Amino acid sequence: MNLTWTPQERRFREEVRAFAEAGVPPELRAKVLAHQRLERDDYVRWHNILADRGWGAPSWPKEYGGTGWNALQRLIFEVECFKAGAPRLLPFGLSMIGPVLMKYGSPAQRERFLPRIIRVEDWWCQGYSEPGSGSDLASLKTRAERDGDHYVVNGQKTWTTLAQYADWMFCLVRTDTEARPQRGISMLLLDMRSPGVTVRPIRTLDGGHDVNEVWLENVRVPVENLVGEENQGWTYAKYLLGHERTGIAGLGHCHRELGVLKRMAAQAQSGGRPLLSDPRMRDRISRIEVDIMALEMLLLRVAANNGGTPGPEASVLKIRGSEIQQDLAMLQMEVAGPDAWPYDPEWMFAEADDHGPGPEMAAAAGAGYADMRKTTIYGGTTEVQKGIIARLMLGL
Amino acid sequence: MDFIYTEEQRMLADSLRRLVDQEWAFARRRARQAATALDPQAWASLAELGVLGLNIGQDYGGFGEVPASLLPVHVELGRGLVSEPVIPSAVMSAALVDAAGGPARERWLPRIASGEAILSVAYQEPGRRYDARPQDCRAAPQGGGWRLDGAKHLVWHGGAATAWLVSARAEDGETLLLAVPSDTAGVRITDTPTLDRARCARLDFDGAALPADALLARGEAAGQALAQALQWGTAALCAHAAGAMERLLEITADYLRTRKQFGQPLASFQALQHKLAEMLVAKELAMSMAYVAVAALTEPDPVQRRRMLASAKLEAARAGRQVAQMAVQLHGGMGMTDELEVGDFFKRLTVADLLLGDSAEQLATLAEEEARA
Repeated sequence: MNLTWTPQERRFREEVRAFAEAGVPPELRAKVLAHQRLERDDYVRWHNILADRGWGAPSWPKEYGGTGWNALQRLIFEVECFKAGAPRLLPFGLSMIGPVLMKYGSPAQRERFLPRIIRVEDWWCQGYSEPGSGSDLASLKTRAERDGDHYVVNGQKTWTTLAQYADWMFCLVRTDTEARPQRGISMLLLDMRSPGVTVRPIRTLDGGHDVNEVWLENVRVPVENLVGEENQGWTYAKYLLGHERTGIAGLGHCHRELGVLKRMAAQAQSGGRPLLSDPRMRDRISRIEVDIMALEMLLLRVAANNGGTPGPEASVLKIRGSEIQQDLAMLQMEVAGPDAWPYDPEWMFAEADDHGPGPEMAAAAGAGYADMRKTTIYGGTTEVQKGIIARLMLGL
Repeated sequence: MDFIYTEEQRMLADSLRRLVDQEWAFARRRARQAATALDPQAWASLAELGVLGLNIGQDYGGFGEVPASLLPVHVELGRGLVSEPVIPSAVMSAALVDAAGGPARERWLPRIASGEAILSVAYQEPGRRYDARPQDCRAAPQGGGWRLDGAKHLVWHGGAATAWLVSARAEDGETLLLAVPSDTAGVRITDTPTLDRARCARLDFDGAALPADALLARGEAAGQALAQALQWGTAALCAHAAGAMERLLEITADYLRTRKQFGQPLASFQALQHKLAEMLVAKELAMSMAYVAVAALTEPDPVQRRRMLASAKLEAARAGRQVAQMAVQLHGGMGMTDELEVGDFFKRLTVADLLLGDSAEQLATLAEEEARA
């Protein structure tokens, strides 16, 4: 056992920090730290800055243009980039379909799709949930029927994050209605520009537009865009979900938002003093710093033990990480206090003439608190994660 | 003690339930909230049922109901997330004017009761959180009347108000309460939407000239009248929040009964049943503390009164947060959308903590009283 960072790891952290601090464009950092809305170009820009440095695919092996970093390096990288105010990396290509194609995709698929993920030449989205199939994903009903060299897809997907920008969707479809629900599912790569694809925005509690409904009407998908084998899609889907859940611990997010919280508390005045010096507030901040420290050590242990391949421990991380993210948002709202009340979604754009009447960050704090409720719902609800822990870790 | 509604209270609650179920049903409520101006018909319907003149004396055109009547009325309004300025005008401003006394009662109370006047108490200043003592908003004598300078913010429905009851500091440091009609020259109104689909305004006074009779109270009397307004507002808000929790629990239980996953209704999963049960526990505690809040309004001991109201507000916030969070969680992704009313309840219950003194403020009040005891 060696519970300290090695000199190499420390050097790596310094290197990443220096790069991130210099590399995140100031206007992008300002947007991120002010919780303003990010648009397509903001994400693409950051991915390209990373790609120019050779770090465009931090979690990928070198043979696919990745960095070949180990799990600890990836974690250091995530935290330092978040702290520097970088946008999050889009997970759809890098963490979701990318690893699936590496493991289960055909050589042609790997060659065609993987390189285009790194600079977001293709923007991917996730076609999993359906209106009737959320936690019970295996009950999904979107049908794909074989017609010569094509599948013809009909159905509806929902909660499709940032589908409004997407070029491609990896999509779970039912190819066998007779088999057990898990057996008749396949994974298709679907061109979002195909005829029959309709994307409709879903407004969320903060008035923002991150998620969408996607209608698929007689969408023709060439057979070569089937991932792996027909009716084996559930295996690939689960493999992908495991990858989704480690990132979902949101350690980088937690570190960044802790910084935002402290800055807000230092600026807010209460009884003529900064709120940060109020003992009640100090206690709350200390408590959440402990929470983040525990999460970080847990994440490091999981990463070191599994060599980065997440098992059911991912559920532990997801449960706790999502709760801490919510607590941070709640504390930020409490710091804003009365000023968190006025809110107009229009104030959340960097280009807006008006960012609201209150202090910086105040309007975003109430809406952010509402928005962060999503973290215990997406990527498998806390209830689903607890079920996984009960079954797979406790053997119940 | 007797927790049973009187015959009048029951009838009023029943009529309000019917009105709110119809006129504040999801789609109609949303449509009304989307408009920046107040819907005169909705406002008139509240006046007709006696909501606006509930606790105003019969001499002034009100119904002269006991303070406890706030509970049945505001529980019903909370169930329908009624966002119209009932609390700022009919509860807080009426209480302030009544406490201030003098000819202002004759001038304002009948018009509050009829709904003709919409008042709001402008007591908060930028950068001073919940401090009710005026600081940078100043009033000075001018030409036999008053001149008002400075800013107030977070004025509840300040844009829809026909007049504001403004706290200001005199040159000698005394607190003054002034009635300022919204058409007064020298006032800039910045009307903004709020997280919970209500509205609030920032008021910037730049040499606004007021007649001598704009003064409602000064010094200690002004402080007491303002405290009265905040206490009545707090009691009404606690009842509103409890009503909102009650309705949100019904909505969530209905959703779990109809939504199916894994081949059965979500309501059949024990883990989710327990969540609903916890929501019910929280709601019952909040409802109980709403009774404490309205009881406080007739509590003669001022220390005890403050403690009761701070405790009730604290519990309304805690329970409201818990019920709201669980309701969203149990609705899953649907709970995150703007397309169901669960989100509207979530936001109102969140905002209930931020209005009239948040939890930190109530805890500070309780600690102060504790130290004094």
